[in-house]
Amino acid sequence: MNPGRFPPIGTFLEFGPEDPVFGLLLLAGPAVVALIAASGRTPLTLGITAGYVVFFFSYVLYRGTR
Amino acid sequence: MKGTGETIGRDLGRMLQALAGLVFVSLIVPVAWGEYYAVPALVVSGAIPLALGRILTSAFRDASDPGKLHGMMIAASGWLCIAAFGSLPFLLVAWMVELSPAAMHTPAQTATLAAFTDPLNALFESMSGFTGTGLTMTGNEEALPRTLQWWRTLSEWVGGVGVIVLTTAILARPGSGSLTLYESEARSEKIHPSIVSTVRTIWWIFILFTFVSILLLWTVGMPIWDAINHGMTGLATGGFSVTDGSIAAYDSAAIELALIPVMLLGSIAFPIHYLILRGDLKNLYTDLQTRWVIVHVGTGALVLCGFLYSSGTYESASGVLRYGVFQFVSAATCTGFQTAVDATNVALGQWPAHAQLTMVLGMVIGAAAGSTAGGIKLIRVATLMKGVQHRVSDVFYPATAVRRVKINGRRLGEEAAAREFEEAAIIGFLWFVFLGAGIFVLLLVLPPGGYTLQNVIFEVASAQGNVGLSTGITGPDSLPRPGKAMFLFNMWIGRLEIVPVLVTLRAILVRGGMYR
Repeated sequence: MNPGRFPPIGTFLEFGPEDPVFGLLLLAGPAVVALIAASGRTPLTLGITAGYVVFFFSYVLYRGTR
Repeated sequence: MKGTGETIGRDLGRMLQALAGLVFVSLIVPVAWGEYYAVPALVVSGAIPLALGRILTSAFRDASDPGKLHGMMIAASGWLCIAAFGSLPFLLVAWMVELSPAAMHTPAQTATLAAFTDPLNALFESMSGFTGTGLTMTGNEEALPRTLQWWRTLSEWVGGVGVIVLTTAILARPGSGSLTLYESEARSEKIHPSIVSTVRTIWWIFILFTFVSILLLWTVGMPIWDAINHGMTGLATGGFSVTDGSIAAYDSAAIELALIPVMLLGSIAFPIHYLILRGDLKNLYTDLQTRWVIVHVGTGALVLCGFLYSSGTYESASGVLRYGVFQFVSAATCTGFQTAVDATNVALGQWPAHAQLTMVLGMVIGAAAGSTAGGIKLIRVATLMKGVQHRVSDVFYPATAVRRVKINGRRLGEEAAAREFEEAAIIGFLWFVFLGAGIFVLLLVLPPGGYTLQNVIFEVASAQGNVGLSTGITGPDSLPRPGKAMFLFNMWIGRLEIVPVLVTLRAILVRGGMYR
């Protein structure tokens, strides 16, 4: 299933830096916030959140240096 | 003038509808936190601008597209209206708790919330929020209902990017004078040829960065509600907090360290963010403003730390580094998060005069144009310095020499360069004129001996630079009403870079026959 085919998401994704990975990070952001709001601070949520942040900055660096 | 009124009315109506949308979206907060007494207040706060907005847009549906004059008047009057109608949630929630109707199960009134029963305090908070200033009429932020904590945060988050940018992204049609409006809200950079695509991309990047900021803050130990609010206000370089004592409440070096990149992200222009996300990392040093942000913040923090160390303000070098660097980044990015408070270390108002004035310099200069930050903006400072250099070196060239000036990669001829120097000089001059006016009013209305001159200069620079750091002058009881009115004006002109407000005032005075 491609979330970009859902009209509001598809329209929104048109306007970013046109990179599917950033699009995915944008869509995953609210889900991760909702998850930690519901589950609290557990090793799992901490791992997911730290992973999100580290992946974002690493991907920016990767895009800039490749 | 009839056509002008119609165009302005139509676009004001659109802005009010966008504001109503924000209020209605915020209804989720009182429902989620069980603050049901705030629901009617929010519904009324949204219904009024929605109704007025619909009336205006329907009545002036066929108004012509805005020109330059319209754009400036729409920006100035629109921001004033947004601040005025945006104050309704503060006012109505405070009065709901004050009157405490039996069926509403309201909590006990607090001194903090009671301050908002005064419409001037509510307007101040709203203007401070939407302009991204962060000075507050709140005595203790933790005592506020979550609904109002959220409304303060949302106002700064939206105001950081711009109300017109929001309205254009949602409501405007391509080619309907959107560019004129966009430029009148102190923005000029375009990411795409279409202005609607540009503002949607700005929001896209801003939302992505907001999630990254929230998750970064939560990872380093901030509770989730605090992380959501501080992530939003930090990225928007607004500075409202949900804790009493701002970031000092956490007394956590990890949180302070995590907030520094968040504030810096907010102080870099959106087109540069776009290019960096597209893989063009070299813009971090090739773009004049971004380079200057790094140099300005780095040098300023170093100088400030030097002053704090030599004056013995803090006992240890690590204390100097921790509070000096964070506070200068907060000032120069125009965020206003505060860690220097008496509860944990030494309050800003107790810092030596030269340290406070270094902070003032940071606040006055500000960060990059096209970012969420305030101040005069680095590009103007750079332009003025180029202008001085150009004028001085001109003497050494023959009169017939054709000279070009290079500003941020653009090579300008004599005429274009003169226009850029003039624009930067006028805004710089006006900035200092109104800074002086604010200082004068505050010196006049504050109790004698209560505050030092450097405290007063600091506070006015903070208001006009849309920063929000305070030496303790701003508060519901400590700041007299004329001072609040002056700060409302300082915040308003600071956000719109002065000229649109002056144009609007001139148009009103001419219309009223008071100025020819």
